[in-house]
Amino acid sequence: MNAGYSVKVLLFGAAADRAGTRETQVHAGETTLDELWPILAERYPDLSPMRDTLAFAVNGEYARGDARVSPGDEVAVLPPVSGG
Amino acid sequence: MLAIVEGPIDVGGLISAAQRPDCGAISTFVGTTRVDENNGASVEHLEYEAYKPMADRKLEEIGAEIEERWDVREVSIVHRIGRVGPGEASVAIVVASPRRGPAFEASRYAIERIKQVVPIWKREVWSDGYVWVGSQVGTRTFTR
Repeated sequence: MNAGYSVKVLLFGAAADRAGTRETQVHAGETTLDELWPILAERYPDLSPMRDTLAFAVNGEYARGDARVSPGDEVAVLPPVSGG
Repeated sequence: MLAIVEGPIDVGGLISAAQRPDCGAISTFVGTTRVDENNGASVEHLEYEAYKPMADRKLEEIGAEIEERWDVREVSIVHRIGRVGPGEASVAIVVASPRRGPAFEASRYAIERIKQVVPIWKREVWSDGYVWVGSQVGTRTFTR
């Protein structure tokens, strides 16, 4: 895999638990969060049932499904936050 | 002080640091680890994790929102991550204002916003398994 054409995906909390990992790389060119999700869901089937509860961030800011994702970007998979 | 920290929170130090001659009120909120019990089991400790760079930025945003809305002169928000034992502080909010109204309102606002937008997650470690709060994912067979 050429790291120059991959997106770093970080997983947190229950999502990391379900996926069994905290970080992965997805080979992708210009894409969107909505297009990235099926790749993650296929790689980590136990993550799929959480889909409706998850939020996402691109480069550290909350982003909607149609948000652009480019090689080198950092995507984060965020379960419902529970700080406090 | 707006910070995510890994050790115990010095609540007294935060309060002392907020005392100043132009303020007549300091409002403090401290969130602590509660030992819930059910189904013959109990919480042993909590474990928090954060998406730190984003969490730091969200704390800054909350601080800025507060300064925009209320006349406050000092805002500290410190959230602990890692293992937090029973009764220990997981979050401390200290707001100093010339008057009590804004201090109370701003500290309440801070904790509510933390619970909405700051990427921090809490795992309850029970005597019979664990639960990710908010996701209800875990190893306990009986979850609330």
